[in-house]
Amino acid sequence: MIKCNECKAPNIEGSLFCSECGAFIVDFDPNSTAVLPFSEIIHRAPPPPLETEALTISQGIQKITIVIPSSRHRMQLNVSGQIRVGRSDPETGLFPELDLTKFEGAERGVSRLHATIQSFENGISIIDLNSTNGTLLNMYKLPPEEPYPLSDGDEIRFGDLLMHIFFD
Amino acid sequence: MTGQFDYYAILGVKKDASIDEIKEAFITLRTKIPKANQNPNKNKKYKRILNAFEVLSDAQRRSIYDSLLVETDETSLEVKIQSSRQQIPLTDSPQLIYLLIDLIPPSQQATQKVEQLPLNLCLVIDRSTSMKGERLDHVKNAVDMIVEKMTTQDILSIISFSDRAEVVVPSESVQDKMAIRSKVRSVFPSGGTEIFQGLNAGYKEMIQHDLKGYTNHLILLTDGHTYGDAPQCLELAEKAAQNNIGFSAFGIGAEWNDKFLDELVSPSGGQSGFIESPENVIEFLQEKIKGLGQLYGKNFCLINEFPKSVKIENAFKLQPFAQPIDSNNKTIKLGDIEERAPMSILLELRIEAQPIETRINIPFSFDGIIPKQSSQTRVLKKSYQIMVMLDPISEKPPEDIVSAVRNLSMYRMNEKVQEEIEAGNVDMATTRMRYLSTRLLQAGEAQLAHQAHNEAERIANMGTLSDEGKKRLKYGTRALLAQTSSLESHD
Repeated sequence: MIKCNECKAPNIEGSLFCSECGAFIVDFDPNSTAVLPFSEIIHRAPPPPLETEALTISQGIQKITIVIPSSRHRMQLNVSGQIRVGRSDPETGLFPELDLTKFEGAERGVSRLHATIQSFENGISIIDLNSTNGTLLNMYKLPPEEPYPLSDGDEIRFGDLLMHIFFD
Repeated sequence: MTGQFDYYAILGVKKDASIDEIKEAFITLRTKIPKANQNPNKNKKYKRILNAFEVLSDAQRRSIYDSLLVETDETSLEVKIQSSRQQIPLTDSPQLIYLLIDLIPPSQQATQKVEQLPLNLCLVIDRSTSMKGERLDHVKNAVDMIVEKMTTQDILSIISFSDRAEVVVPSESVQDKMAIRSKVRSVFPSGGTEIFQGLNAGYKEMIQHDLKGYTNHLILLTDGHTYGDAPQCLELAEKAAQNNIGFSAFGIGAEWNDKFLDELVSPSGGQSGFIESPENVIEFLQEKIKGLGQLYGKNFCLINEFPKSVKIENAFKLQPFAQPIDSNNKTIKLGDIEERAPMSILLELRIEAQPIETRINIPFSFDGIIPKQSSQTRVLKKSYQIMVMLDPISEKPPEDIVSAVRNLSMYRMNEKVQEEIEAGNVDMATTRMRYLSTRLLQAGEAQLAHQAHNEAERIANMGTLSDEGKKRLKYGTRALLAQTSSLESHD
């Protein structure tokens, strides 16, 4: 069974249009974000905001290191500006600073514009940009469009793509 | 298929040669080659003959070979099959696959221009009281137009009916056009609607002629429900189809029974349509007559010899006109193939659970008469294969299929709304009609979308559709299906 994105009605495998609402239910764009089966299951409460003291420790961070275990990749990024997380889309001219295309981003459910990471007065924050499969911080699903503070060693999942973040 | 691979030509036998004829031809050819040279590895000529014989003498190999011939024979109908997916995954539940099948007549250049079969046409006209005025006037004008287009080779009969039928113009060749016109002018509206009376009288007129030498077609024009005689009508339609007579039926206004007309034309693969306003009668009939005058193939059928694991869920003709196809029988009536336009069929197939990797072979067998070639039924075979794989390649389905299935999905949504209203599910019907309105708008069909929107509100408030809205949406969404075919006519 496949589920219609719009009305959530179940449809028989191989359907092209939803038998209930008529929406196109198969997305064959190879560049499109995969919809992951678990993205709806996790509805746990977001993590409590960290204490102010904890945040001040991370003040003045200039650089972060991202580790992606699935592809054994490590990279360093500058957080003086905004880091957009997503997948590059040459058609719309979108080239996020943290481009996850080559880490199987599309298959693992990373949206083209998934989240942003940026420094603020007390530290570094992450904002989920209403992505298809959501962002998980230490296994807690973040509410979209709301900034959340990050700490050294946090585990972040963009869709099903796991990474660790370290402050340098 | 030419040269060394035309096995029939190599043996000098006809395509329908019996096994004995093939054996005889082979032996005759072989005796011409000295015994010493009968070594296929050294003598190419002998090898060719032997190859041809080996293939054609084995029933199974011959049928495979014949199915290949269909594709390449330039003078024959071309069968083109596209699929929404060529590979499907292993599943423990059923899945769907869509096939778009085009039957393409050979292009004008490839065939010599041969005279068309003359028409044996019967017009069955409703003259019940409700036809009075504009409706009957326009029908009379349309008949004038048809008479004008016919030649002295053609046969025409005209029946008018109410509670009973009158033969206005008996079945005969079109000689005195003036006389025919004045007879039609005298038709006077009165009485009820008993369609069987009209159809039966028309059928009797038509069968007075040798049907083999003509393109036989009966066109019904009505504006009302028939009472109690629907089963008889359908029986007659069945009988007529077996005798090579096609039925088409057009409803004028909004008070007629659309399901009945669909069923009536189904046995012969004919057309049913909605003539919203009387002045469009001419347009509809003109189009219909034009198609009938340019037939390439008559009475084409698809013989359902699919494996048990493959079931036809839905069949729809997209070209030359959009019409649902009854796929419940083994012989599926597709209707006539026009000279200048391919016939396109959309099939929705349900494939049963496939737990192991395999190859599903779907045999297609079309039969029909191609009057130019022979009065005998010709059979075209082709097979289509679907691979069942653990890890199939996910392909984008062809645009033609996506757009055809999109339109089919809108047509079906409208049908579902009707069913839900009949079952009393007003809320579901309202929601679905609103969805349909959105889909129509997305498809760029603003007028139909507006209609659907109004009908959704009407369902929500009154629990029912308007008569006009019902027909407009049904035939409007049906007409969209005719626009989906990728193949342009060869005009």
